[in-house]
Amino acid sequence: MAETVDNGILAEAADWILLFQSGHVSEQQREAFERWRATSPAHAEAWQRAETLLTTFDRIPKGVGSQALQGTSRVSRRRALRSLVTLVVAAPTVWYVSSQLRGRWEETAVTARGQRRTMQLPDGTTVVLNTDSAIDVRFTPDKKEITLARGEILVTSGHDDRSDDRPLLVRTAHGSLRALGTRFSVRLMADATRSAVFEHAVEVVPVAAGARVLSDGQQATFTARGIVSMATVDDNDALWERGMLLLKNVRLADALAELGRYRTDVLRCDPAVADLRVSGALSLDDTDRALRVLGQMLPLRIDSSRPNEIFISPR
Amino acid sequence: MNYTAAPPMSQSTAETATLQVLYSDHHRWLVGWLRKKVGCSHLAADLAQDTFIRLITSRLVPATPSAPRKLLSRIARGLMIDHWRRRDVEQAYLAAIAHLSQAEVPSPEDRLLIIESLMRIEALIRDLPEMTRRVFLLSQLEGVPLNQIAQTTGMPLITVRRHIQRALIACLAVS
Repeated sequence: MAETVDNGILAEAADWILLFQSGHVSEQQREAFERWRATSPAHAEAWQRAETLLTTFDRIPKGVGSQALQGTSRVSRRRALRSLVTLVVAAPTVWYVSSQLRGRWEETAVTARGQRRTMQLPDGTTVVLNTDSAIDVRFTPDKKEITLARGEILVTSGHDDRSDDRPLLVRTAHGSLRALGTRFSVRLMADATRSAVFEHAVEVVPVAAGARVLSDGQQATFTARGIVSMATVDDNDALWERGMLLLKNVRLADALAELGRYRTDVLRCDPAVADLRVSGALSLDDTDRALRVLGQMLPLRIDSSRPNEIFISPR
Repeated sequence: MNYTAAPPMSQSTAETATLQVLYSDHHRWLVGWLRKKVGCSHLAADLAQDTFIRLITSRLVPATPSAPRKLLSRIARGLMIDHWRRRDVEQAYLAAIAHLSQAEVPSPEDRLLIIESLMRIEALIRDLPEMTRRVFLLSQLEGVPLNQIAQTTGMPLITVRRHIQRALIACLAVS
């Protein structure tokens, strides 16, 4: 929870930031700063915020940030006002249409943990981003490319326009997938990519191996060097799209690992209950409730007294 | 032992019940309302879904909402504005990197981080006066020394410093 920190302390923190940025800091000043920071928890909290803020600033390359933000806010405000009087679409539509005519389009989308987002691409393709995911979409005159940088997506390719014969590709660190008129999911894991095909087919091309076509109901896990395992899938495996997780006789530890993807804290479980089997439908939009439901289905104690961690043990 | 249990539908708290009523009575209306505003049915459906998610996660659901559509449209309006803001920031970012050479253009992974960071900063400084924002961005994002900002803007050094300090306090106040 955010604690309130006195404005006077924040002003002092701002002074320290400016002093450090000036580049002329004496040993005495540094010691004075350490004493200041140790004065009270509020002082420590103020500096913690300062560090977070400066880290955010550091991420922005020079020459980009001020230009980008200088341009936006006034437009945003104007547009926000306009949207209130329902005239909103004119400007973005003009931009959108004109760039689409050239066949070029770019978009970046990100979801936080526990979030889900549906995105519509200009060719009618729908991309749903699962929790904690990031994609970069780039349409050029000769191809349509989605780069999955993190997480999981469900792609339903559109076939609005028959004159559009550009291939639709999804790229990950391990290889690329080429849609053959289809609905499929792609999940980027630590050391491999997994793709499940729900309709039609997808061609998998690992970075350093030959291509292989997956048809509906098939799922492949691949690394850069090739496909490492195959499995079957059904529509329930894409239920996350609708905020649901369907468990069919699954180990509790595996169910918790899956739920954990949607949470910012860590779910840990006692080995004594790890192998209990569980079936049911859980909400991914309210994983607190999902945990309570699990606690009712199985004899579990759910302990959330520790910070950033939930520990699950036998009741 | 068999621990298979019924799906969670069976356990319904008052909140879930209210939410389900809200959803079934007003979801379709909300999508229509949003479609008129944004002119795109997919975006409208998306924002409507986000509205309900926001309602659930923020625990804003009152026991018996007296003006449910007012509540829903208020949340939806906020999300709609956020959506356009994000779009603006993304476009401004693309415009800003357009002049960079191929080697300088950030990778897709970095780009996402940068845009997220820009969004956060934009929200922090949104309500500050124009001059304060400008000075602050020059100093904190571009690393331009204070005396140089004073020179180019013609403001006394102490005024430049006050603008930046004011903006920093505003940023730190929101943790």
